Amino acid sequence: MPGADKEADLTERIEAFLADLKRGGCGTGPIRGSGETARETTALLRKVTAQARWSSAGDLMEIIRKEGRRMTAAQPSETTVGNMVLRVLKIIREEYARSRGSSEETDQQESLHKLQHFVHLKANVIEAINELLTELDGTTDNIAMQALEHIHSNEVIMTVGRSRTVEAFLKDAARKRKFHVIVAECAPFCQGHEMATNLSKASIETTVIADAAIFAVMSRVNKVIIGTQTVLANGGLRAVNGTHTVALAARHHSTPLIVCAPMFKLSPQFPNEEDTFHKFVSPHEVLPFTEGEILSKVNVHCPVFDYVPPELITLFISNIGGNAPSYIYRLMSELYHPEDHDL
Amino acid sequence: MSSRGGKQKKGNVTSEQEEEEQPLQAVLVADSFNRRFFPISKDQPRALLPLGNVAMIDYTLEFLTSTGVQETFVFCCWMSNKIKDHLLKSKWCRPTSPNVVHIITSDLYRSLGDVLRDVDAKNLVRNDFILVYGDVVSNIDVSQALQEHRHRRKVDKNISVMTMVFKESSPGHKSRCEEDDVIVAMDSKSKRVLHYQKTQGLKKLQFPMNIFQHGSDEFEIRHDLLDCHISICSPQVAELFTDNFDYQTRNDFVRGILVNEEILGNQIHLYVTQDGYGARVSNLQMYDSVSSDMVRRWVYPLTPEANFTDQQGQGCTHSRHNVYRGAEVSLGHGSQMEENVLIGRDTSIGANCHISNSVIGNNCTIGDNVVLDRAHMWNNVHISSNVEIHQSVVCDGAVVKEAVHLNKQCVLAYNVVIGPNLSLPDGTVVSMHHPEEEEEDDDDEFLSDDQEVGHSKDKTRQKAFQLEVLGTLQRGLEENIVCDNLVLEINSLKYAYNITLKEVMQILTRVVLEYPFQQQGTQLTTLQYTGSLLPTWSPVFKNYIKRAQDHLDCLSAVEELFLEQDTHQTAMVKVLMKMYQLEILEEEAILKWFSTGATNDKSRQLRKNQGVSTTLQSLYITARKALCGERDCFPVRRTSVCGTVRPVQTPGLNTEVFLSSSAPEVYPVVERSRG
Repeated sequence: MPGADKEADLTERIEAFLADLKRGGCGTGPIRGSGETARETTALLRKVTAQARWSSAGDLMEIIRKEGRRMTAAQPSETTVGNMVLRVLKIIREEYARSRGSSEETDQQESLHKLQHFVHLKANVIEAINELLTELDGTTDNIAMQALEHIHSNEVIMTVGRSRTVEAFLKDAARKRKFHVIVAECAPFCQGHEMATNLSKASIETTVIADAAIFAVMSRVNKVIIGTQTVLANGGLRAVNGTHTVALAARHHSTPLIVCAPMFKLSPQFPNEEDTFHKFVSPHEVLPFTEGEILSKVNVHCPVFDYVPPELITLFISNIGGNAPSYIYRLMSELYHPEDHDL
Repeated sequence: MSSRGGKQKKGNVTSEQEEEEQPLQAVLVADSFNRRFFPISKDQPRALLPLGNVAMIDYTLEFLTSTGVQETFVFCCWMSNKIKDHLLKSKWCRPTSPNVVHIITSDLYRSLGDVLRDVDAKNLVRNDFILVYGDVVSNIDVSQALQEHRHRRKVDKNISVMTMVFKESSPGHKSRCEEDDVIVAMDSKSKRVLHYQKTQGLKKLQFPMNIFQHGSDEFEIRHDLLDCHISICSPQVAELFTDNFDYQTRNDFVRGILVNEEILGNQIHLYVTQDGYGARVSNLQMYDSVSSDMVRRWVYPLTPEANFTDQQGQGCTHSRHNVYRGAEVSLGHGSQMEENVLIGRDTSIGANCHISNSVIGNNCTIGDNVVLDRAHMWNNVHISSNVEIHQSVVCDGAVVKEAVHLNKQCVLAYNVVIGPNLSLPDGTVVSMHHPEEEEEDDDDEFLSDDQEVGHSKDKTRQKAFQLEVLGTLQRGLEENIVCDNLVLEINSLKYAYNITLKEVMQILTRVVLEYPFQQQGTQLTTLQYTGSLLPTWSPVFKNYIKRAQDHLDCLSAVEELFLEQDTHQTAMVKVLMKMYQLEILEEEAILKWFSTGATNDKSRQLRKNQGVSTTLQSLYITARKALCGERDCFPVRRTSVCGTVRPVQTPGLNTEVFLSSSAPEVYPVVERSRG
């Protein structure tokens, strides 16, 4: 039966996605970047909307929530998955409210006479999800377009590790301006090396420095531009380890710290969740297995993320423009519904 | 996938694409064919024993699935039903699983060789496959090794048959199993194995010269390799196992290939990984190491909180210092989970406990004031207060009562109850199963404390051997077989019945000395007894009695026999003298036996027997005389010997030494070499 086939297909895709999330790389970044994860999640949710059996908005939201819980449980540190689920839930609420011709009422009602809007609801929701996908596709370009406003000629810019967003940002500015980039290598994963190679291929003057030299070099730097994995609800960051060092050094020298983060990275989480905040990977990056006997006598940890408090950040550049950290709460209320924050 | 290969285009490109699109297969051997985990593995097959509260076979399957294997054949032998049930309930047998698992069971497998021969017979693998055991824990990405392997085979026309995956790790590391320690000589550029040797117990190593002459200018001799027991095999491997029936393990195979290299031209290559983690839980020591590595996240992403088996309720939270807590865990007041602790769900821990470096299963109850250090506890364990457990394994359902102290390397098997106020010494294994015969001596610290069981089986073997020897000697007498051939027959019987040399000689002595009783009944007089047995068979004896110890053993056998045969104790003297004359025994040995070995009253009485003492006295004199180099004839003395013994004329030799009514016989002085 084609219906059963499609369902099996959908389940298989979801399982494959979950397995990928669980195996998600060894700290060198997930197998896919955040943008791809976001796109994949949204595509899956669209499929679920299209294929699952639901008769009212409440049903659909419950189904989406269930899938969302499974997906976030697979890899708690990958917040883009949860963010996309929340966006879709918000879309459903909006479409439901629009089809009822009023705004922001209690959406959980499953009154029978609303069934007639069912067909339109489905089509509208799917269309809105498509719009979301288009928005996701264009985030990097939107951010890169703002580069010329922030980077001026002969500036020295510092960055940490590797961020695709920042890379696009700098490459876009390099088309018109000449500036110098210093990349901190960001041990132990040393992704800064790859970033430096890519930037120099775009004819940007690049220097790679060790993490220990960050403070020393900071006095010569005009701006610090970094990427992040997540933007937290209070405006703080969960970024790759080493970012906190850069932020503190920048604050000390009063250097502006600019964070390039697309909107799908904004998460309603606060930084006080001790157990799910961090991701610890295999210690072999820090102390390799070949060290031998000493490994049985020593505890080695290799965390992937850092927390950067919001007072160290100057500006957020996202696909909808530049914002101060204190404005994040407002953006959150526009993107997500408060009742959905706890999946 | 295979349907795409239906397009019949010409050229090599299509066949290569077909090859690439063939699903990657793996052979998983879920039985280790040894008893290192006995008696735990009597209740549960090794592949299902929990490591970090997850069955070991789940780790292996997860490793295979994440590395891209799409079809796995699981071979089970011992307790295959349990393994089958477990797999059918697991996530790998769901229809949406990317890895299709086929379970093949048979009671006839006795080794890895048998499994591979079955693989060949059933024609299961079409292409290169990955060969692992069910207790391998790894996160290595084998695709790189697989690529190299395929490339080598394409370039070199199928000469390379296997690529073994090793992990770089220095010699002192605790995850290196001492029994599996190897030293490998390999060609640096092509990664080809030139020499492969296990180093356990060896103090010196020898390398054949041909590894230096292999035509390559760069080769390495490496001792820093940890064997992951993961091999990428070509289909030829299965065929080679079928051709060579004596290949039982992978070691045999590697040695065979290296030895027969000129004839068959096959090669084995290595892949050494620095980044991944791979180890096999081959004994309890490795279980401890791999478990602690897993809790310290060396096998990321196979970590406890990841719940990669997708079981309900199996998830746990990961806190600092590698403390993992399952759902509904309750901790008493003042208890500390110090570091590297994994606690399963629904477990309750009492007050003032101190837990570190341990793994605790689901549904356990732990009392107050308990100290757990490097303890491995499985499910449903009940531990009372004031217990201390150090570096031990406590299996499902065990109950440990108050104030028990388990020292290092103890094992409590399933459902064992250990009473209050007890302290178990290092290395104790307590199990509900009665120790049976073939208990293997464990080489590592987990010794089993029941050793006497071998004896009963030995006795049956010895009886059978004795009968066979008797038959041989009888036949020898009837058919006049040369003594050399008799020796040959007895040697082959020795191997057939697995008898040691010492026992052979003792049994032979016994058989020979009992022979006249069997031929002519036990009512023989001493005179008749001392017949002509010994001369005919003296070469046979001489073959087995060479060292000083052998003489003493023979004498003790003689003594034993005559202790049993009370009526003929006097004949012992004759026998001894005869043996002495026939050069079967030396006087030193006889004297030594006389002066020492009186272990009980009966044997002392035996020695006190006059005849014996006088014999020996004269022997002593001979010995001294010979020492002084005097070539004298044996002094003939008239002594009273119990019993009336008349000279018996035996063909060839005068056996009567002490009683001679006729003229003194000149006894041939036998030159003995003093040494």
